[in-house]
Amino acid sequence: MNRHRHAPSARILIAAAGVALAAAGCSSSSSSTSTTTSTPPPSATSAPAVAAVSTSQCGTKPGVAATGTPIALGGIVTNQPGTSFTDIANMANAYFACVNANGGINGHPIKYYIETEQTNPTQIAADARQLVDTDHVVGIVGNTSIIECAVDTPYWAKLGYYVIGSGIASQCWGTPNNITVNMGPRYSSDGAVQYAIAQHVSKIVFDQSNVPGTGYIAAGPNALAKAAGVPITDLTENVPISDADSVAIKEVDDAGPNGAVVLNFTPPEALVILKAAQTLNIEDHVKLWGCSTPCNTDFLAQSLGPKWNDKLFVNAELAPPDSTNTPTMNLYKAILKQYGKAVSGGIGSFSQMGFTEAEIAVHALESITSGTYTVATVNAAFKAVTNYNTGMLCQLWTFGNYPMHIANNEDYTVTPDNGKMVQAQGCTLISSVDPQIAAYRADAGTAALAPVAP
Amino acid sequence: MPPWSDFEPFIVSGLALGGVYALSGVGLVVLYRATGVLYLAFGAVGAMGALVAWSLVQAGAPGWISWLVCIAVAALITLGYGLLFGPPLSKRDPLVKAVATLGLTLVLYGVMDLLWTTSGGEARSITLPTDNSGFTVASIQVNWTQVIGLAAGVVITAATGAFLRYTNLGTAMRAMANDREITATLGVPVRKVEAAAWLGCGVLAGVAGLLLADMVALDATTLTFLVVSSLAAVLIARLRSIALTFAAAIVIGLVHDLITPITSLTNYRDMTPFVLAAVALLVVSRRQVMSRSREEA
Repeated sequence: MNRHRHAPSARILIAAAGVALAAAGCSSSSSSTSTTTSTPPPSATSAPAVAAVSTSQCGTKPGVAATGTPIALGGIVTNQPGTSFTDIANMANAYFACVNANGGINGHPIKYYIETEQTNPTQIAADARQLVDTDHVVGIVGNTSIIECAVDTPYWAKLGYYVIGSGIASQCWGTPNNITVNMGPRYSSDGAVQYAIAQHVSKIVFDQSNVPGTGYIAAGPNALAKAAGVPITDLTENVPISDADSVAIKEVDDAGPNGAVVLNFTPPEALVILKAAQTLNIEDHVKLWGCSTPCNTDFLAQSLGPKWNDKLFVNAELAPPDSTNTPTMNLYKAILKQYGKAVSGGIGSFSQMGFTEAEIAVHALESITSGTYTVATVNAAFKAVTNYNTGMLCQLWTFGNYPMHIANNEDYTVTPDNGKMVQAQGCTLISSVDPQIAAYRADAGTAALAPVAP
Repeated sequence: MPPWSDFEPFIVSGLALGGVYALSGVGLVVLYRATGVLYLAFGAVGAMGALVAWSLVQAGAPGWISWLVCIAVAALITLGYGLLFGPPLSKRDPLVKAVATLGLTLVLYGVMDLLWTTSGGEARSITLPTDNSGFTVASIQVNWTQVIGLAAGVVITAATGAFLRYTNLGTAMRAMANDREITATLGVPVRKVEAAAWLGCGVLAGVAGLLLADMVALDATTLTFLVVSSLAAVLIARLRSIALTFAAAIVIGLVHDLITPITSLTNYRDMTPFVLAAVALLVVSRRQVMSRSREEA
């Protein structure tokens, strides 16, 4: 008989300590003179009312379903608890469904294969081989993964695939075979810091998740701040954040009353910090708050409330959906409504990215006049896309033959406005003070501004 | 070293954080004492309750109903788990019981990720009426929710202590903590006592989930794993004393936050709970060894 059945045995204490430490380990996951060109936005910003748009516009033969031999495309997206990019691939799939229902690509429907992964390099490599060897895809579109670019780029290069996706890892911008429609954490943070500098702040505190790659991301904002002569402090936080009050106090204390706090976090983590600042009543203890693109969501604006109107400024890589009324934006909303039931987040930057990647791919496929859709012809068409007006990005979009690709390097700034994110600043070039931006422009030049209302 | 004035705001936030840890810690100790189960799903069931409450508010339900539902959901999940898995696991090693609750954690975590996805950039929050009023200490606004969080820790600790000491049910729980089989032999309805402990723990998980969703974050990951920090306080109290658990939680919260303005240490502040727990366990072990040595001598 056990006299002290519930007395904590050494085993349970050690086990509890082990669980605690393991979880703690899991939680520690994850600047020349600045010449910026401020231009008016290319998209017409007006009343948010959506004009009546028919989704039949997405194809060349309205109302005629494509029945030819399918053209197989594929994409790999991260889908794990806390991090899911499935909305991007699902929106691309919605666009392809719309195209298929309206003539397809010269009568050929697009068959889109989506592989999901859980940040496991072996699994990601297997996903790529599944798409190539089993599904026989001829093009890769919509890839959005935490590490896929780092894992699969040599494989894609070897087989001659030119991947159109949304990037996270640095390899998504720094290699010949990958191109993205988004700017990613580094250049988006550049944009947020650049906006703060333009507001004449005296100091910048740049805070981001403590995940691999923070040094690479922080290099951009640091280069911009150094060039402008503005002191900058880099901070990192273990996520998930459990001490938001102390994080907010630390940021505000470091920035000072004329300073700016710029965040690079996912929306839930950014919300935790901003809400803590609000409840502590210290949000006005700095001149402004900034945030990279992930904060550009109405969920955040609704959760924060009106105290953050014109106080928080978020870099936005794509046209603000709430305040943009153009045919492309309206088509995006119409396709989302009719074909996008799997897009759980609805209107937002993720689904905008999926839409944009799909429309670029369709544009490229439609340029193939031979009627032969092979890895060689499709990827040659992808690579040949030049000065394409997506209707979602500030600039015309070009793939091209460059050692690196930062095709989207001009962006908006938005701010909360009573539950919505609205435009605070139109298209502005990311400064070439960031050496990566400078290197890309040295090769590719500076893309022209997209014409209004494509 | 920063001037003292730089530390003042962190005393306030540290007390609030300590209260947060204490809330969960007391619930963990009470259940462990009654059933021998280290309930690692405490944070996940609180998160589930809070997310259900958020959904109700979004659907137009009054706030107070959603708060009650939050507590009810956490209580029912915990009670259901206890009734279903408690008896078959009752004779197993405490380690097995603890690992079994990890299974519940993973199931709940998966369900929350499925139902309240973050794939579209969703960011949610619960706002209590007490968030919008308070007072100022050291230039920091202290809202009444934070005060309630700390006060709840104090009140729950005191009330639980009194309950265990002065009520028949509490006495039965303490008896079971000493020896389940002898207690059963004496005629104590073991299953009912255990069910009461599971229910009480679930209610505490719901209260903690609601307060933490407001004070920390309404996020499945954050709330699920916040319990890990509370484990440190529980370990310091060696899963026995709720008063010591509360005190340890407050100390952990204070030390954690007071390190924040020290530049050279700030990136290591999340280690605070585990460093303090490790030191406490080493000290306790050393004393036990010395005590045994004296007895043997």
